[in-house]
Amino acid sequence: MHIIVLAKVVPDYEVPSADFELVGNRAHPRYTRMIGLYDENAIELGVQLKEKLGADLTVASYGLGDDVQFLRKALAMGADKVVLVEGTSDDPYVIAANLKEAIDRQGAVDLVLAGRQSSDMDRGVVPGVLAGMLDLPFVPQACGVESADGGWKIAQITETGKRLLKLSGTGVLSITSVPENVPRIPAVKAIFAAKKKPVEKLAEIGTGKMNVSELSVAIPKVESNCELIPAEDMDEAVRVLLRRLKEERYL
Amino acid sequence: MERIPYWNIGYGLLIDLLSLPALAVFGYGIYGHWKRIRQGKASVKLGLTLDALKLGPLHIRSFLTRGIVGTRIYRKLCTGIAHGLLFWGMVLLSAGTILVFANVLFRLPVFKGEFNHWFMGAALDAAGVAALAGVVYLLIRRLFPPERLTCFRANSGFIQVEIGIIAIVVTGFFIEGARIAQNGADPGSFVGNWLGSMLSVGRGGLELHRYLWWTHGLLALATIAYIPFSPLVHLVLAPANAGLDVPVPGPKMGVIDFESFEGDGDETPSLGASKLADFSRKNLLDASTCLKCGRCHEVCPAAQTGKKLSPKGVMVTLAEYLQHGRMDDESLLEAISTDAIYSCTTCAACMEACPVSVNQPNAILQMRQHLLMERSEMPEIMGQANRSLEARHHPFIGTGFGPNDWRKGIDVPFYEKGTTEYLLWIGCSVAYEERTQSIARAMVAILKHAGVSFGILEENRCTGDPAKQMGNEFLFTEIAGQNIEEFNDLGVTKVITMCPHCFNSFTRHYPLLGAKFDVVPHAVLLRGLIEAGKITLTNSGQAICYHDPCYLGRHNQVLSEPRSVVSSVGQLVEMPRHGCESFCCGAGGGNYWTEEEGTRINQTRAKEALDTGAKTIATACPFCMLMLTDGLKKFTEEQMVKDIAELVCSRMESGAQGVPQTLVST
Ligand SMILES: Cc1cc2nc3c(=O)[nH]c(=O)nc-3n(C[C@H](O)[C@H](O)[C@H](O)COP(=O)(O)OP(=O)(O)OC[C@H]3O[C@@H](n4cnc5c(N)ncnc54)[C@H](O)[C@@H]3O)c2cc1C
Ligand code: SF4
Ligand code: SF4
Repeated sequence: MHIIVLAKVVPDYEVPSADFELVGNRAHPRYTRMIGLYDENAIELGVQLKEKLGADLTVASYGLGDDVQFLRKALAMGADKVVLVEGTSDDPYVIAANLKEAIDRQGAVDLVLAGRQSSDMDRGVVPGVLAGMLDLPFVPQACGVESADGGWKIAQITETGKRLLKLSGTGVLSITSVPENVPRIPAVKAIFAAKKKPVEKLAEIGTGKMNVSELSVAIPKVESNCELIPAEDMDEAVRVLLRRLKEERYL
Repeated sequence: MERIPYWNIGYGLLIDLLSLPALAVFGYGIYGHWKRIRQGKASVKLGLTLDALKLGPLHIRSFLTRGIVGTRIYRKLCTGIAHGLLFWGMVLLSAGTILVFANVLFRLPVFKGEFNHWFMGAALDAAGVAALAGVVYLLIRRLFPPERLTCFRANSGFIQVEIGIIAIVVTGFFIEGARIAQNGADPGSFVGNWLGSMLSVGRGGLELHRYLWWTHGLLALATIAYIPFSPLVHLVLAPANAGLDVPVPGPKMGVIDFESFEGDGDETPSLGASKLADFSRKNLLDASTCLKCGRCHEVCPAAQTGKKLSPKGVMVTLAEYLQHGRMDDESLLEAISTDAIYSCTTCAACMEACPVSVNQPNAILQMRQHLLMERSEMPEIMGQANRSLEARHHPFIGTGFGPNDWRKGIDVPFYEKGTTEYLLWIGCSVAYEERTQSIARAMVAILKHAGVSFGILEENRCTGDPAKQMGNEFLFTEIAGQNIEEFNDLGVTKVITMCPHCFNSFTRHYPLLGAKFDVVPHAVLLRGLIEAGKITLTNSGQAICYHDPCYLGRHNQVLSEPRSVVSSVGQLVEMPRHGCESFCCGAGGGNYWTEEEGTRINQTRAKEALDTGAKTIATACPFCMLMLTDGLKKFTEEQMVKDIAELVCSRMESGAQGVPQTLVST
């Protein structure tokens, strides 16, 4: 059995807003890099499945050659191998086509896991496009997976509840975070073991882009103006608060 | 008439012969302890250059002071005096007994003249009275014990030996009395003469004397033989433990060499300690020596605020496992509990209080290393701090600040190779929290004002110390390696720290990883600048209470310098617990990133500071500053906590050049 997890290396997704700056519509390169938030949930789920089912676990990524050092964390968490297609495109179609190329080289694949959205672009498009290219079913917002006679039993989380699905055969799932897939912190021995695990680097294949182009990117500056309302007398405080909110046209 | 040894005793020499089997049993018992302790590993090298006098592995000074004289025990005055009376009383009495042997065997003239009068008579009687008074006090205290003696487990066995000692001393006096009743008064033997005057002369008296003599002798020999099997074994173990303890305060963790993990072999050693066999011999000696006195329990910030941890509890558990030979039993960690292992603030108050030189946090931290590095088990928030440290080089999760925000609007020079003298080390604790940023700004203002040649790194990161304290030695080693490389590239030789944790890490652990630079904590530097007249301060005369950061005071003995700085801007007042006996703010050991159970340590300490009545609480550690500021919120809305650098900056005579006061004061 072979499971693939898609992981993208992104700039620190928790840079304080006051310190955030854009260069050429992208986060300034000075921020540290790391595997995306939901991708780590997907990796954790993959590792759990590997441990339960004795599967092989490969991490596929499209990105910068230097990012291997960050992808090693996935190996330390328990993945067996990394395949990295070296490229710089942000286009979901280009990314998906290259990831497909990488997956096709891995032989038979039983399941593809992705994060629900990357922590830099926050679009959630790549897994769906990739599923289309691979001609596989796509299940977004999955949080739990179990092997079930020849296919998979999948828990999908929606805003209002949970849905159980049955997938026959292979498919692409995008994973959202739940307490059960909080990424593990690799033990030191696993970190050293990860240094010896294989990393395959592939060259990018040229391919067409989506017919969507980016016109501008704006990150609103968070400003906080604090006005303290004296709260000695609660009734009076509520009255003042209401009046102020109306004056400022929030109500 | 001159005293005749073995008077009225037939075959008295039998006692001398019987002492041989007693000593043999004693030796066998001690060997048993050694056999158990020997199962531990050799200790890690600390690489510290100490100019301490050594005999093999034994540090002579601490062996004599903490080991033989037992200096620490006097921190509890009554117990200390009782113990002193008993110990030194028994030492003199044993010396007297040996002199009697010497008289019998080699005719040493001890029963003649002044020596007989003052030593064999008066001094030995006084020693007997002292020992008796001491042991009776200790027995009463055992019968009505304070909580510290009984929590977790009381040391059973002390009551028996105390009764035994009372019996030995009392019979000793009565033998003397009975002999004097028959033979007339001895010069100087005030107790014996008094008892003798009351005891009857005649056949009954002779028999009583003979009977008591044998009881006394045999009881004494039995007690000697029993020492290794009773709590009295601390007579041997305590001095050994004191002498073998490297005389540097703090847990002394050393560093771990991860080289062996790089190779191909699967035979990598298990990290940290999960079972007794993983501990060093010193750790096992600690566990064997622990007297269960609970002095550590009484001063431990975790134990005193309702956490699961008690340093005594840890030692008791280790000792029990050792006693039962459970060297490879991994249930040890569960027995102590993960919560307990992570609640230690590494403040070392327990070590300071321990009368027998036990290093409790060292054992606790080794178990923590195992939980973190082998099992990835740690409290959630610490886990997040760890990940942040790994990915962002600082552990301040959820900070609203970037690494350079603290110096927005002020001009701070970068360290330049070959021209700058001091590196002002920023680290993480003064960069990512608003309240502490002004410490760094104040320091910059002071250094500029005093004309010190200094600069900062272009990119500031943490020393890695929080990782180490949380048990992640691996991450610490990586971060420290990067820092050392950068320092070497820049040719840094002198470093100023504002955080005692950085100072401690730089001086204790970095040298083991190849660092070669001098470090000065800002408290010492500030005092130097004031003394050299580089900065002149106006003294407000107002009361300022000083809180000792554990890693500056207890761990590194920087006690007088910050006090002298405080005294030059105000009137120093002390909290009840200060100096080496200061109480932790609660942040150490990575516990800044924790969800505290029970009472909050920082509130306990803040209240103690508030109770001094001072309107300003000074400290010299950014973590203490954050913890006390937060702890104080429960009691007052006033911002009372100030770093010594902030205090100095606000009272510099010609003001802070180049730094607007608004950036400095808070
Ligand atoms: C709390 C929250 C609230 C939100 N609320 C709203 C809302 O109210 N309205 C709204 O419109 N949106 C909202 N969103 C965002 C919305 O969910 C996202 O737009 C979408 O789900 C993710 O899109 P994406 O294109 O970023 O993902 P993609 O960039 O397509 O990435 C998805 C996954 O594909 C894989 N992948 C992508 N690129 C690569 C690569 N180069 N190499 C390897 N793998 C790769 C990774 O596994 C990644 O995690 C919210 C999101 C969150 C977290
Ligand atoms: S180091 Fe401090 S917190 Fe840890 S056990 Fe000792 S006294 Fe308690
Ligand atoms: S470790 Fe020291 S202070 Fe603590 S109980 Fe044992 S002997 Fe007493």
